[in-house]
Amino acid sequence: MELINKSRVKSPWLLHYDGSSCNGCDIEVLACLTPIYDVERFGIINTGNPKHADILLITGGVNKKAARVVKNLYEQMPEPKVVVAVGVCACSGGVFHDCYNILGGIDRVIPVDVYVPGCAARPEAIIDGVVRALQVLAAKTDKEAVV
Amino acid sequence: MVKALMVVLLVVIMAPLLGGLLTGIDRVLTARMQGRVGPPVLQPFYDVLKLLGKEALAANRRQVAWALGYLVLIIASLALFCLGGDLLIIVFTMAFAAGSFVLGGFSVRSPYSHIGSQRELLQMLAYEPVLILLALGVYLQTGSFMVKDLFHQSQPLLASMPLVFIALLIVLTIKIRKSPFDLATSHHGHQELVKGITTEYSGPYLALIEVTHWYELVLLLGLAAMFWTHPLGAGILLALAAFFIEMVIDNICARLTWNWMIKFTWTGGIILCLINLGVIWVLRAGGV
Amino acid sequence: MHRLRHLRGELPGRSHRREIRKFVTSSVFKKPGDISVKECPQVLKRGGFMITGKYLVAVSIWLPVAAALLCWLGQSYSLRNIVSYLTGIILAVCALGLFLSGPFDYQPGEIWGLSWNTAISAADFALLALILYIGWRQRHKLIIILAAIQALLLICFDFGLGGSEIEPVPAFAVDHLAIIMALIINIVGSLICIYGVKYIAEHEEQHPVAKSRQPRFMFWLIIFLGAMNGLVFANNLYWMYFFWEVTTFCSFQLIGHDQSDEAIGNACRALWMNSLGGAAFALGLVILLRYGGGDYLSMQYLLSHHTAAGATGAILLAVSMLVLAGMTKSAQLPFQSWLLGAMVAPTPVSALLHSSTMVKAGVYLILRLAPVYAGTYLSSMTAIAGAFTFLAASVLAISQSNAKRVLAYSTVANLGLIIACAGINTPTAISAAIVLIIFHAVSKGLLFLCTGYVEHEIGSRDIEAMEGLADRLPAAATIFTIGIISMFLPPFGMLVGKWAAIESAAQLPLAAFLLVLASAVTALFWLKWLGRMLEGRPGAIAQREIMDSHYIASLGGLTAAAVLLSIFIGPVVNSMVTPAVTQYYFSPGLEANLETIAAGSGGLFSVWPLFILLALIAVAAGFLYQPRKVKNPPVYLCGENAGLPESTVFMTTGENMGEVKLSNYYFTGFLNEARWSRVVNRVGLIMILLLLGVTLW
Repeated sequence: MELINKSRVKSPWLLHYDGSSCNGCDIEVLACLTPIYDVERFGIINTGNPKHADILLITGGVNKKAARVVKNLYEQMPEPKVVVAVGVCACSGGVFHDCYNILGGIDRVIPVDVYVPGCAARPEAIIDGVVRALQVLAAKTDKEAVV
Repeated sequence: MVKALMVVLLVVIMAPLLGGLLTGIDRVLTARMQGRVGPPVLQPFYDVLKLLGKEALAANRRQVAWALGYLVLIIASLALFCLGGDLLIIVFTMAFAAGSFVLGGFSVRSPYSHIGSQRELLQMLAYEPVLILLALGVYLQTGSFMVKDLFHQSQPLLASMPLVFIALLIVLTIKIRKSPFDLATSHHGHQELVKGITTEYSGPYLALIEVTHWYELVLLLGLAAMFWTHPLGAGILLALAAFFIEMVIDNICARLTWNWMIKFTWTGGIILCLINLGVIWVLRAGGV
Repeated sequence: MHRLRHLRGELPGRSHRREIRKFVTSSVFKKPGDISVKECPQVLKRGGFMITGKYLVAVSIWLPVAAALLCWLGQSYSLRNIVSYLTGIILAVCALGLFLSGPFDYQPGEIWGLSWNTAISAADFALLALILYIGWRQRHKLIIILAAIQALLLICFDFGLGGSEIEPVPAFAVDHLAIIMALIINIVGSLICIYGVKYIAEHEEQHPVAKSRQPRFMFWLIIFLGAMNGLVFANNLYWMYFFWEVTTFCSFQLIGHDQSDEAIGNACRALWMNSLGGAAFALGLVILLRYGGGDYLSMQYLLSHHTAAGATGAILLAVSMLVLAGMTKSAQLPFQSWLLGAMVAPTPVSALLHSSTMVKAGVYLILRLAPVYAGTYLSSMTAIAGAFTFLAASVLAISQSNAKRVLAYSTVANLGLIIACAGINTPTAISAAIVLIIFHAVSKGLLFLCTGYVEHEIGSRDIEAMEGLADRLPAAATIFTIGIISMFLPPFGMLVGKWAAIESAAQLPLAAFLLVLASAVTALFWLKWLGRMLEGRPGAIAQREIMDSHYIASLGGLTAAAVLLSIFIGPVVNSMVTPAVTQYYFSPGLEANLETIAAGSGGLFSVWPLFILLALIAVAAGFLYQPRKVKNPPVYLCGENAGLPESTVFMTTGENMGEVKLSNYYFTGFLNEARWSRVVNRVGLIMILLLLGVTLW
């Protein structure tokens, strides 16, 4: 079990979803995958499939139509999982906080574990946020009995 | 009998370790080719262990049963290969294993899984003739279908069947899911396919499939190593060279369509085999 | 019934039964080479136990006639029910009795002062007159012409060449190959008749008719069994021709059962194509009589006088005519369209005639004649024609979404494979052919019966309608899974046959190449179909399925047979296949013991390890997936899931909902059936002409 816990931290697979973002943060997320930042060093793979993912990386605030999608994706991910809200729109709605269609940050719909502020969030901040999320993940699995 | 069981046990334990290590080396070398650093070499093991620790999600029991069938039948093929068995039977057992994987993908009513399975069937259609022609070629050259009789050959198979080896490289590209043939599923997600056949698998069941891919990698590289049995070290080097070639092809090619894959393998692959087998046939008929 | 009492009076006492059991067990588990068929009658005689084989032959031909008449005249369902069960059981017992008794000859005596020869001759002409009448009624020129040609040939045979005077003895010769065919006909056939009684009753409920056609249906179905028995036992080629024509006629009657325009059209097509084969058969008989003499009308004589040296000249031409007849009966290219058209018939017909037995008569004849044309160009051409049919039919099967048409093309393909084995003509190839005959009859019959059952339950025979069958009709889906896997995957018997075929094909490169391509293609259409049946919604609970006892008996029996025969393929090969091969070839071809089979080329196949592994997989899957512990999440639809977890409804644009629609690839653009059929038919025609041509040369 010790080995599995250690492996969880060393092999985080993430699912990246754009709630209603302007794509600024998404471009920064994709930049993390490029050779300059190379997150595969940490074993991170961008799977496109919630069933394979441990970390849900969401950008953009959530509007009414995206709320259902975000919930679906979150529920289709197997435990243990963590959510990272990337960019200030995902944290609180950002500049669009008072718009009629924006419900607010992601935490209106699903529980968020790590907030990464910025507009757009820098790749270094995003990587830092993912590393923090791994620590949260490790802490979660120590508490719960999974498997 | 006891010796056979020992061999099988050794294969069952060592092959996934070897396969996982090779997969890790694959990822590191691919990263270096792309100008990145890449993950640690033991990354695939961390991946599988993590997956084992995830919650078990599945659609129904048959989805799991067919995935398990894929694993067990690949192990059976590998064991049969290591015991020096009949090459044709090994090919047919591999076909059953691949078919089992396909049926696992079909077990859920999911669009991505469905397309992945259909494409995997087309992949099987593409490479199956070459594998059977490989077995026939070995028989024509050595007079036996049994792998163990290859160790009594004075001349390496590569000398008499070089074109078949090239055709085998094409098959390898398809079977270890490298571009341009990573149509049914691959180690990274695809735009239109998501994860293909493995979309609806998660957690421990996905770990099962990952480990099966490791066994399959060892078996396929074993088929490549078969082309140089004296000394066996040369065969192993040949297999590793083939693996490296696959990595290079993966990194320089983009994914193509199944149409193209079938046309390419059924013309190029089969013609290469036919020419090679024809030459062997003529030489044998003339010599004998 | 009196025959049964007669047999019962001769049954041995307990000690003799034990002796026979000991013999059976010791012989089937002996090492190859130890078994001697000659031992058998002696052991039995020693025990004072004489299975009088000739009674079994007579029963197996006449009992179906009596039973069929009972069904037709009786007009009641329960009578048909009882008659089918009883006939089936008695026929199965007869076949087993023949298997235990071993080979023998049988010459029936006279009846009412007439020789049987004259009786059969008269019946033959009567049948041809009937076919002529049908051709006239249907305004079908080809039927009339071909029936007339056959009549003229028969007149030439009987009166012009004096064939009516000649009576080659023995009329019936039961040898190992005939026993194998008898086992298939009487056991598989009986199970299909039992299925048929219930099926046709349901069929008529769903398609009501003014006057019930069930009595007529069971009449033709059961009398066909008698004709097939006569065909495989016949040593006198003239008698074989008669039974051949009877089976053609039964097929015509059964295909046209629904009396719709389509049915009648297809029945006529089957009739004229099979009549073409019949004409070839008759021409072969005439050539044999004219150039070889009356002795050559005995199959035994033909085989024993031309095995070692290989046939030449006129004899070979006559044999090529018989091979052509076999190819039309087995629906090889370019004659496959009659089998495809025959799929309009009710499913028991498709199972019995058009996969398990009647079409096997064609390959049976070609296989039986194999020692005669061994080593000739006819042999090579037969192999290539068979292999090409195997490839072409398999490719065409990919484009079909009608389940019965897939099965029909697969049947044509596998018959092509068997013929290719006969053409390759080595001991291993002949053994492979016999193995394929046995296992194909069981598995294909099973698949057809299951398709018929499912068609009645869901109202369609389209593969797309069978989506999710595993949750709607779980037992049927399980049977389909076993049936389809047993058709082409290790460790089942069909694969053993195909493996042996490829291992022995290396000496005929073109045939080997076609076999290789076809082998790759078959997996595609089988797995596609099976996949659709398994496609289920997450967490769906399989519904309870209630199967009628007729279906449980027939489907269960055939499934068990498919599995058990494959597991015990060693004893099957030793006790049935090897004796048949060593009768005319000097090595057994396949050497088998309980777990391993060795082919002549040195290949080795261990059957049991894979069966044990399959069983382990089934058990382990139960542990790996425990319904209470595993969650069933909805399928991934990019997060747009809009319904319950088990549904596949998703939100599309606006507030609209969509439902996931899935389908197989059928490649109908590229594999346009009409266009491809024209092409492969032309190639097939050229092959047939070449086949006849090489013998002339």
